[in-house]
Amino acid sequence: MARTDVVIAGFSETKVAYQSGRSAYGLAGLALSDLLERTGIEKKEIDGLSVTLALSEGSNPFFAVYMADALGLEPTWLNAGGIGGCSATGGVARAISAIRDGMCRVAVVMSADAPSTAWRSNYGAYRPEFQDPQGVQGPPATFGLLMSRYDHQYGLDPRALGKIAITQREHALHNPNALEKFRKPLTMDDYLASRPIADPLRILDCVMFCDGANAFLVMSEEEARARGLEKMVRPTAYAEVTNYRGSDAAPDITESGFYQVAPKVFGKSGLSPADIDMFQPYDDFTVAVLMQFEAFGFCRTGQGSAYVNDTDLSYRGSLPLNTGGGQISAGQPGLASGGLNLAEAVRQLFGEGGERQVARARNALVTGIGVIPYGRNWGCSAAMILEA
Amino acid sequence: MTDLPSRPVPKTNLYVPSQPFWDGARSGELVLQFCLDTNRFQHPPHPLSLYTGSQNVEWRPVSGKGVVYASTVVRVPGPGVTGRIPLAVATVELDEGVRIIANIIESPFETIQIGSLVELAWDRLDGGVPYPAFRIVSRQGSVDA
Repeated sequence: MARTDVVIAGFSETKVAYQSGRSAYGLAGLALSDLLERTGIEKKEIDGLSVTLALSEGSNPFFAVYMADALGLEPTWLNAGGIGGCSATGGVARAISAIRDGMCRVAVVMSADAPSTAWRSNYGAYRPEFQDPQGVQGPPATFGLLMSRYDHQYGLDPRALGKIAITQREHALHNPNALEKFRKPLTMDDYLASRPIADPLRILDCVMFCDGANAFLVMSEEEARARGLEKMVRPTAYAEVTNYRGSDAAPDITESGFYQVAPKVFGKSGLSPADIDMFQPYDDFTVAVLMQFEAFGFCRTGQGSAYVNDTDLSYRGSLPLNTGGGQISAGQPGLASGGLNLAEAVRQLFGEGGERQVARARNALVTGIGVIPYGRNWGCSAAMILEA
Repeated sequence: MTDLPSRPVPKTNLYVPSQPFWDGARSGELVLQFCLDTNRFQHPPHPLSLYTGSQNVEWRPVSGKGVVYASTVVRVPGPGVTGRIPLAVATVELDEGVRIIANIIESPFETIQIGSLVELAWDRLDGGVPYPAFRIVSRQGSVDA
């Protein structure tokens, strides 16, 4: 088994809320106070900070610096995480490098966003001229296109997507941090009857923008033990890719960057798909989950629907899936979303899963997705393997 | 002609110099970026050749003929679709080997299928400014992109 000298020695997560009325700074404050209380770390010990760029503060190029100011931190290493839903795992990976390079000793990876309270982002670039006039401004149309192509090439069973939504909803019932609105069971009839957004995408395939924050404490195992921190998880493998197939005018849009990332994380960790105890994949849309089963080799490409239909994905099952409900059923806290899947993995490996605790879990595979580019699969893909 | 409501005209030349696209549209031609190093089109436009990184890029008209690579119908309100739903959207693979995301107009939804052949049609933004769209020309094409 691969080993690492730098660990995640603590985490915190706010409850996901819709139109909380709080700012990303306010939510980050809640997350940091909770992190300090849970770990006994003093604020002045924190000398490294990674800040996930937020939709709600997208107009401020100094957001990470203002975040340090808001939290009263004086980092000697500061990272602005601009890879969307990959920024939490990516922030941990960058913090590990920074700690190994001596840039800092105790780092916090902070993701906080409040897009359902305030949206202050404008992606610009080619979009106003070449994407917005067609009415393709939001991700749903793009995911409708992606799903149509996947269905054409491989066949897409709506009931498999429904099973993902239903399983994750069941998990959200046991997650006190999940959005209250989603803490009620879902049936296959509910799923199949839910309104079409962008054919064949249904509303119950989608996340809802909410507000929330999460934070991770990263330091060497030696530093953690010196502070009496006993719960820790080891990120034993990480890989990411940005702008996948970005210089191909006509790529296969069903092929994600995870096909490049997956062999790297399995190679670095020495684990295989069969060794993975739980899967906490980025889940902006159900089809993204289904496609990740394929890319990570839990099943063959094109067999995602059959795999989902044949596999117990509950927290008691053979491959527990997004055991906190994922973003689809806990709510998507803007670009802090990648930290939601990561927080659940750390929580489970700390043995703090409560009613939804996965038994005998020794490792977790966590992923991130960022940005929906023009005419391709998603732009950023990241994966991290954590071991207890 | 189309019954779709009009839409605001975006400011041009903000990302890269894009005037040839808009001038082409006014003269009834779809004009896209073309890399002279590799003889390949690229879309949307970029500040250099996607293929070689050089500035050896110009704008050229394309045939406007292609095939539906992926398709959807947007059915809920959202930014940019007010008054236009249900709205057919497709990724069209042009004969020149480059893809463009566009609305499919003047075509019953049931005819819009992956593999369907399409040809250039013109939608209108505010003030009658033409914007490229496509229409279905046969139910099933020979190309399965």
